[in-house]
Amino acid sequence: MSGGQTIAEKILSRICGRRVRAGEIVMPEAELITVHDWYTVNAFRTLEEFGVTRLHDASRVLLVTDHEPLAVSPQAFARQQAVRVIAQRFGVAHRDAGRGGLGHVFPIEEGIVVPGMFVFSYDPHVTNYGAIGVLGVAVLTEIPEVLACGSAWLQVPETLRVELTGQLPFGVFARDAAQKLIGAHDAALFEDAVVEFGGPGLAALSIDARQTFCNTPVELGAVSSVVEPDARCMAYVKARAQRPMHPVLPDQDATYRARIMLDLSAIAPQVALPPTPDNVVDVTEVVGRPIGHAFIGSCASGMLEDLRVAAAVLRGRQVAPGVRLIVTPATQQVAADAAAEGLIEVFMRAGAMVTAPGCGVCAGGRIGGVAPGEVSIGTGTRNEPGRLGAHEAVLHIAGPATVAASAVLGSIADPRPFLREAAWGMAA
Amino acid sequence: MSELILRGRAWVYPDNVAIDGDLMALEWALKRETRPEVLKEHVFVGLDPEFPKRAQPGDIVVGGRRFAQGNAHIQGMIGLKGCGVGLVAESVPIGSFRNALAAGLPVLPRCPGVRAMFANAEEIEVDFVAARVRNLSRGTEATFPPLADHLVAMLRAGGWGPMFRRRLDAMTNA
Repeated sequence: MSGGQTIAEKILSRICGRRVRAGEIVMPEAELITVHDWYTVNAFRTLEEFGVTRLHDASRVLLVTDHEPLAVSPQAFARQQAVRVIAQRFGVAHRDAGRGGLGHVFPIEEGIVVPGMFVFSYDPHVTNYGAIGVLGVAVLTEIPEVLACGSAWLQVPETLRVELTGQLPFGVFARDAAQKLIGAHDAALFEDAVVEFGGPGLAALSIDARQTFCNTPVELGAVSSVVEPDARCMAYVKARAQRPMHPVLPDQDATYRARIMLDLSAIAPQVALPPTPDNVVDVTEVVGRPIGHAFIGSCASGMLEDLRVAAAVLRGRQVAPGVRLIVTPATQQVAADAAAEGLIEVFMRAGAMVTAPGCGVCAGGRIGGVAPGEVSIGTGTRNEPGRLGAHEAVLHIAGPATVAASAVLGSIADPRPFLREAAWGMAA
Repeated sequence: MSELILRGRAWVYPDNVAIDGDLMALEWALKRETRPEVLKEHVFVGLDPEFPKRAQPGDIVVGGRRFAQGNAHIQGMIGLKGCGVGLVAESVPIGSFRNALAAGLPVLPRCPGVRAMFANAEEIEVDFVAARVRNLSRGTEATFPPLADHLVAMLRAGGWGPMFRRRLDAMTNA
């Protein structure tokens, strides 16, 4: 069969050293392998059980302490210590607490990942790297094999093409569009596929926004997401790349599972209701529902742009009585930039808490979580029962503007009036 | 009979069975429990708590679309393996499919129309290599896309652990 290739097929073809097509089983060698702080000890214990004393290539491994950077229990203190010992013994890079932040985000900021790379990770949201044309795929049980042998089996995924058109309206952001995308289509379309973003609507989207788009499809069973590395992407990457790049675009005649359009201009602020992230409605349908817990952060929405819009809503306002708002910058860099821009001051004066960069509350709700019966709205990745603590809590997902506005009113709120009042987006 | 042909009763379940809650309580994943003899007692705790007592080795779980959807924890698949059953479904998301293979659970993850072939407790036979599903009660059968050779080899080996062991041994001997 002839026919062109998608971005995912091209990246895997380069890695495999031959032309591969969707459906084939391959053993691709990852150019980077990331493992987070809540699994590192388990993965290396398995290696020990199998008698593995050397890694396939220690220089490709990156351990990231992002799930619990500020250890909050004796078990966590010991776990952090164990990760440090492992990093030293095996000679692998370790971005410890305070030395990077969220492992799906800082490697983009620092040029550790570059367009065309192939990455395996012990975490589903490695798909963020797709924002700059990287193919990142999660491997869970088999991650010790990847560490010891460099590869694990993978079925070359089919690709779902998403053509972005139009521009986001006033007060509507990447997270709203990303939630709308997964809410508007049957999960079967996304399942086991790579979601490839392109189209005329792409150029106006920042790298932060592209990370958000790449983050959400995994909730519907997508294997990964990848954005066409366009001029905007290449300008961003060239300023920081730490290794040679292999940027690829899809062929004109690439074979896709399906092609769908997403008209950015037709989207309103979205809220995902329990129990799944694709259960989305326009915010106007749920305005007024009381909330007590609010969270801004995560690999989906903890970037500088997210904090900017949240601060625009919160500037000069107060979090409502009875509401606690937790803000977690994704990375040290985001936190430092947010501080330099005065955003952190806005959060603190509004009565929010700003926590150590990383996954924040979204990492299973072990930090700053919710009690039974509480109602939360946050920018985390998922909202199944128990995700943020108590199984009997009610979890909503929304973009940072909507979460900030809801924290101010103490109930789910449309952020647009707040942003209008703040003259959001008007030339300074 | 080959270890990859199972014969028994069909256990038919609806679409969107969740990995956490329906198939296995999340606490087992958080405890990182991986012993089949422990987990087999807790399979389908949320959906069909009688399953562990009544299922027999050779029985087949017939799932709908998106069987074992959600955060891909392996404990449910290890539990099913512990029960000695197999799994066929309209669809299984990739993370849970990987986990099923890793656990050594005989599985066919892409069987469109398979659920309509069965009522609960009908006699079923599945050849996991040929990807052939038979309803022995009705005398009907269907074939589906077979697993790739590497994945069949993984099932024959008994899952990810034995495959990994072989790969390490081959590296040592190379």
